[in-house]
Amino acid sequence: MIISILIIPLLGGIILLLSSKRPRWHFTVNFLVSSASLIAAVIVLTQTVSGRILTLQIGNWPAPFGITLVADLLSSVMVLLTAIIGWAVAIYANKYVNAHQAGEGFFALMQLMLFGIYGAFLTGDMFNLYVWFEVLLIASFSLMTLGSTSRQTEGAFKYVLLNLVASAFFLVGIGLLYGVAGTLNMADLARKAAMMENTIVLQTVALIFMVSFGIKAAVFPLYFWLPASYHTAPIPVAAIFAGLLTKVGVYALIRVFSLIFIHDTNFTHTILLIVAGLTMLSGVIGAAAQNDFRRILSFHIISQIGYMIMGLALFTPLAVAGAVFYIIHHIIVKSNLFLIAGIVERIHGSFDVSRLGDVYKKWPLLALLFFIPAFSLAGIPPLSGFWAKLTVIKAGLDIRQFAIVFVALGVGLLTIFSMTKIWAQVFWKEQPITKEHRNTGNNPVWMELIPVAFLALLTIIIGLLAGPVFEISNRAAEQLLNHKPYIEAVLGGGR
Amino acid sequence: MISTALNISLGMISLSMILIILRVLRGPSLADRVTALDILMTTGIGFIAIYSIYSNNDIFIDVAVILALIAFVGTIAFSYFINRENR
Amino acid sequence: MRSLILNTALRFIAPIMFLFSFFLLVRGHNNPGGGFIAGLVAAAAITLYTLSSGVSYGRRLLQIDARLLTGSGLLLALISGIPAITSGQSFMTGLWLEKTIIVIGKLGTPILFDAGVFMVVLGITSNIIFELMEHN
Repeated sequence: MIISILIIPLLGGIILLLSSKRPRWHFTVNFLVSSASLIAAVIVLTQTVSGRILTLQIGNWPAPFGITLVADLLSSVMVLLTAIIGWAVAIYANKYVNAHQAGEGFFALMQLMLFGIYGAFLTGDMFNLYVWFEVLLIASFSLMTLGSTSRQTEGAFKYVLLNLVASAFFLVGIGLLYGVAGTLNMADLARKAAMMENTIVLQTVALIFMVSFGIKAAVFPLYFWLPASYHTAPIPVAAIFAGLLTKVGVYALIRVFSLIFIHDTNFTHTILLIVAGLTMLSGVIGAAAQNDFRRILSFHIISQIGYMIMGLALFTPLAVAGAVFYIIHHIIVKSNLFLIAGIVERIHGSFDVSRLGDVYKKWPLLALLFFIPAFSLAGIPPLSGFWAKLTVIKAGLDIRQFAIVFVALGVGLLTIFSMTKIWAQVFWKEQPITKEHRNTGNNPVWMELIPVAFLALLTIIIGLLAGPVFEISNRAAEQLLNHKPYIEAVLGGGR
Repeated sequence: MISTALNISLGMISLSMILIILRVLRGPSLADRVTALDILMTTGIGFIAIYSIYSNNDIFIDVAVILALIAFVGTIAFSYFINRENR
Repeated sequence: MRSLILNTALRFIAPIMFLFSFFLLVRGHNNPGGGFIAGLVAAAAITLYTLSSGVSYGRRLLQIDARLLTGSGLLLALISGIPAITSGQSFMTGLWLEKTIIVIGKLGTPILFDAGVFMVVLGITSNIIFELMEHN
């Protein structure tokens, strides 16, 4: 069953690549492929939600030697979220991707990028994780430069450079890890690392991985590439990037620092905690100085990632559950906000908040659709963001980490301020009339409002049904902290 | 007997490599450097072939063959662009 | 760039490159070689022809569109994993024929996978070369 999650987007990408002469069909094909992925992801989640761990030994090579695909609860939840965002963007892209871009391979690259993301979430092998990172990066490089304007190339250049540095660090870390442990299978690593006596090299590797995944997850002080590059990509691409790519880094951090590097949590997780606090602060302060709709949102990705890392760093069952809940909430909300920014730009022809205005008066529905994810992001009850923040902060209070709780609360306030700024500038105030800027005269169409409404609805559902969602996060956290079932599922010859 | 010959030839090839690298560094023109890099590849092929005999491992011969087949592509590409710039 | 030396030399070198690339492809499973390096060697030959006779000649030499080649290569690699599923084994399990053939050795699904990789590498590399040559 796991393999279908990988085969569907790959097959879809191949079909789209082979039919590059008929770009008109691409939208439909892409939509069908994304729907199939969504169904497969739901099926996998229904199988793992009870706590079962699915594994697949590729090529029938037994576990520590071959590549293992593992779907535990966290992986399946991430896969489902990826499929949801992929599906929403597949509908949304109709208005934003013209036949020329489709012929250039827009949809094919998008499916291949999703293929890479699914792979990164499902793999149970360190080196394989590196390979998946490269798969999704190559696809994302090409997607980012698809318009090939000079601004895009500049943004993509920073993105490529930083990510190559991250990959190099990762590769060095993998080499060292293999030298110490003699295996790269994650379950086997967890088993061997637990028995290791001399852990100095292991700590070094932990720090190298922290830098590498930290760059990918855009944590302090390695986040500069994110606001410099995300806003240059086409909006459907930016929405996937914003929702998913940094979360791949966060996922890798959570996986590695809950499974393998847990010897000296005083050392590693304290660093993570400090990093988390600084990430939150620098993200939200950076956002305050911005005037571009997408750049404000980009900086908020950074500050929100701080909360997830905080959940991981506190490292109690409740905190890790909070981190998982936060990821669920954030992927949906952040992609949605980017999609809305795209709609506003298509109507008003600008991303600059000082030039925008009046959206509320003209399009109250659009304003409402913005209101839900924006104030969920800021943590207003009863939306999903409130429960996510509450869980993480409660976990902090439980183990008396008041400093980080204080930072988290302060950043929450600043986020409200920042979202209010967008609300007031873009949706509420009267649009200033200037000569050089004119509205495009486009109206929002259903094709782009449906995915936005769908994601907003999910935000509300997560908020109202916080109990069951929290229960799932809790189980995922339990699986992360209790390694025995994971190791047995991978190494015990299970299928 | 053969090992002495191998040692001597390895030494000579290493020496010529150093001289070639000096030429790459000193130039003076781009064409000089490109040609020097090409010869560096050629001596590299010789080095690999001798090392293959030295270590009694015929897998290295394949590496030498691939290098010999591919090494000059870069040189030709360079000359293509030098040619174009002069036009 | 018209060069008599290059054109004449290519007539002898290019067949050897293609032949060696095929050799690397088929023996790659148990010895150094494989689809990736074989694709690079073949792409080098295509590159040489493109440099000596122009992009349009390079495209004609490749016979099919480079992007199409990449796509079909991916498809072939994917298909190579399917027979294992139909015979009830894990995805990508290597299945081999019993008989051996001279030079090539045993035939099996991993050869298909390697051929797919070969096509992907050849397609992507020549596509990059064509694009670069056309835009400059």
